[in-house]
Amino acid sequence: MTAVGVVAAVAPVTRRVRAYFAPVNRVAGVPTVFDAAQTGAFALGAPPAPWVDLGWCSGFVRKSATKVGALTTGAPAVVQSQVRTEVEATLQLEFESWGKLQLALASGSQQMNLLQTTVAAAANGSGGVSGKAVPLVAGSTATSLSVGATAAAQFQIGELVAVDEDYVAQVGFVGSGASAAYVSSPASVGNDINYVRRVSLNVGRVVGIAGGMLQLGGALLAGVPPSGMQVSPLVGFVDREGGGFFQEWSGLFVMDGEQGDRVIYYYPRLQAMQGSAETVNALAGTLEQVSLAGAFRALPVTDANDGETVLSFRSYLPGALRAV
Amino acid sequence: MQNARDTFYVTLQARLAAINPARTMVLRGVTRPGVLVEENELASAVQPANVFCLHWTGLSVNAQGALPLVGMSCEIQYATDGDSGNGGMDRGRLLSGMDAELSAAVSAAPQNAVKMNYVGSAGGSGLAPVAMATNVFWGDVVFGAVVVNGERLERVATVEVFSYQEAGEL
Repeated sequence: MTAVGVVAAVAPVTRRVRAYFAPVNRVAGVPTVFDAAQTGAFALGAPPAPWVDLGWCSGFVRKSATKVGALTTGAPAVVQSQVRTEVEATLQLEFESWGKLQLALASGSQQMNLLQTTVAAAANGSGGVSGKAVPLVAGSTATSLSVGATAAAQFQIGELVAVDEDYVAQVGFVGSGASAAYVSSPASVGNDINYVRRVSLNVGRVVGIAGGMLQLGGALLAGVPPSGMQVSPLVGFVDREGGGFFQEWSGLFVMDGEQGDRVIYYYPRLQAMQGSAETVNALAGTLEQVSLAGAFRALPVTDANDGETVLSFRSYLPGALRAV
Repeated sequence: MQNARDTFYVTLQARLAAINPARTMVLRGVTRPGVLVEENELASAVQPANVFCLHWTGLSVNAQGALPLVGMSCEIQYATDGDSGNGGMDRGRLLSGMDAELSAAVSAAPQNAVKMNYVGSAGGSGLAPVAMATNVFWGDVVFGAVVVNGERLERVATVEVFSYQEAGEL
């Protein structure tokens, strides 16, 4: 047998953190599971489904707030053993990209779409009454919306759209792809038929129009839209300080080491622990670069291997032929 | 340390040649990509134009870890007089082009490469370089201010290059 030598293990050297999002099934309380043993070595630009790339982030800091107490007996008291009295973990980061998902996650609460309003709509902070949505017809895909030639003429290349179902008195979590809000009663949202599209994370940008199809610049979060969904044009996004809803998501953070190693942090359930915030970095003179600042608290899951209640997982994939 | 220097140079040369294959020079009668390591060539006081000249300057060694971590500063000097057919009035554009080429080559992912030992392959031996066990890695390029030297525009950019000194490696 010919044995190969191993190289002494060194501390990982990394330069950036890549973040990924996956939805949590809020109704069932089930997060997206990431198994580093099976898919930990994925290419950063091609995460395994259903993970969605959130891009690079900076200022990544995770903190353990877990408390360990001592159990003492006797007089004088002598420490006999230890016990975890509280398990808590938080993390904070700054998103380098301002996309719908990043805005929604960082804001923590409902992150609304500024739907195009009707001509005479009364002004409202999160957008006035929106116009009539366009129904999908058969033939849509995750990256193209089939609306028919007549309806397609209403859209323009470059336009943003929200694709989701009508609000018809649903109570509970709403939004396709990921729960975007919680509706306690139809009256609370004014029975607005466009409410789900107003909060939906299932958005895209039209990059081409042909044959009654709207070609999107990227895949919809919810995948192929089923019949019954409708399309509403929007001009941007809005979030608020306050609100009763907490966004919850499964988070994955990857740091590639310069020696072929990889550190992976997997948080099955994350909820924002602060309102909308930004970090300002001075560029030159009066120029400033504004990053989305997020702070999150981890919620527990049960590890199927041993039934332990845990908040996060840190995986390390060593480089080739490194000592362990 | 020499292996890390050679690896960084060969990697940078390949990337620059891929970005702009037309940037070549004739050195000792051979046409090659427009990148050279000053200390590997005959000593000369002349800075060739439209060519990237690498100079190894600073050096640090952190021996606290399981493998010594070596940091080296690579100064990359380049200059242009512009195109004579344009009366040199395009020298700013040509320097800007070199800035962009260097930035793209250094910043392209991955910013690391397997450290290679070129000793055996030197001198036209025909032997392939030997892959070593660790990677060379580097930071982003830092550009110095443009220096105007007569009709010539000159710039020095710096890249910090890191490597681990492997057992038995000199």
